[in-house]
Amino acid sequence: MALPHIFEAAWPDPTKLGVDSKSTAILLNEAKETFASHLGIRGDEISFLGELNLGFHLGLTGLMSPDNRLVFSNIDRMEVFAISENHPSERLEASNTGQVNFTDLNRSDVVCLQLCNRETGTIQEGRPDNVAGVFVDATASGTRIKLPDNWSTALWDSTSWAGPSGLGIFAVSKSANWKNPLPHLDGRINPGPTSLPLIVASALAIDSWVADEKNLAAKIATINSDVRNYITTNIPDSDLAPGGADHLISASFLYVNAEQLVTTLSDKGYAVDSGSACSAANMQPSHVLAAMGVLTQGNIRLTIHHSTTFDEVKEFLNVLKQTVNELRDQK
Amino acid sequence: MILDCLGKRCPLPIIELAKALSDKPVGFEVTLLSDDPASAPDLIAWARMTTNSVETIDSKTFKITKLAN
Repeated sequence: MALPHIFEAAWPDPTKLGVDSKSTAILLNEAKETFASHLGIRGDEISFLGELNLGFHLGLTGLMSPDNRLVFSNIDRMEVFAISENHPSERLEASNTGQVNFTDLNRSDVVCLQLCNRETGTIQEGRPDNVAGVFVDATASGTRIKLPDNWSTALWDSTSWAGPSGLGIFAVSKSANWKNPLPHLDGRINPGPTSLPLIVASALAIDSWVADEKNLAAKIATINSDVRNYITTNIPDSDLAPGGADHLISASFLYVNAEQLVTTLSDKGYAVDSGSACSAANMQPSHVLAAMGVLTQGNIRLTIHHSTTFDEVKEFLNVLKQTVNELRDQK
Repeated sequence: MILDCLGKRCPLPIIELAKALSDKPVGFEVTLLSDDPASAPDLIAWARMTTNSVETIDSKTFKITKLAN
């Protein structure tokens, strides 16, 4: 179904009576089944969130009782740090490669498991076992990494399969001991309603993304290693965060102001993000880079998209080298 | 030698440190004062990348020893 039609057809409330509402309810259910099949869960375990980051609170706080300890790591999202302030908690230190040791846990622990770090692409290898609950942060991994069998709650970000932003896919396992931490009168999980056009658009996006990913994974892996090799060989005093997911690269350059680097690259047509203090609203360096011992100054984060071409990457790398040299010469 | 970079933001403290060390012999020591939040993690990364040595005295004081040219 074409997107403009969805905006026209999706106005009725799918929970009401009437023909129009029934057709939107069908759309919603079809979308749930689409997500369920790609994410390896059941359709009736899914809720949609118009506020993605609310999913961290629902997923973690909903598993906590006064007897539980919240266990997370120092490369988890800041949202997780904030939630941990409300509970007895333990912050694990990731290694320099971003790996977290989950072997020393209690049966009463509720654990945050980040499948993939959205800044560095670090893929977490360890899995917490024999614990009270596991919240899976799948916001950066999308469909790439399967949930562990003992997952309790999980959160995905629609943008990770190139879907629209402003949509979280939240799931509570049928076997989880979960209570809704938000004020509620009925069984609904999200305070909702969530935009049905966004949900349907994201379902269309995940279908085509998964189909493309099979064909394009090898290209993205090659681009990743090309970029890493180029930076290591051609740009001195650079520091690459240890890799993981092929579509993400985090690179830092000594003696470079990241704000200038990001704005200069933007002027030249390249949109990159940064984990450096001077580019952050709170003027703090990325806690992920600091935890992994990676240089935080002059940092850029690259995302390789399905549509990224080898020619674009080659041009970008030339521009990057030239820009880093120019900014260093100005000092 | 004391290098006072208090009030200077990233990446200036490390740029000034590298400049100060550029014409100094191996074994030269600098005490760097910096209150930039990026300095603590970045001095450790800088020392690793440039094979120099850094010792964190407190949150704003770092002792650097030049180990390589």
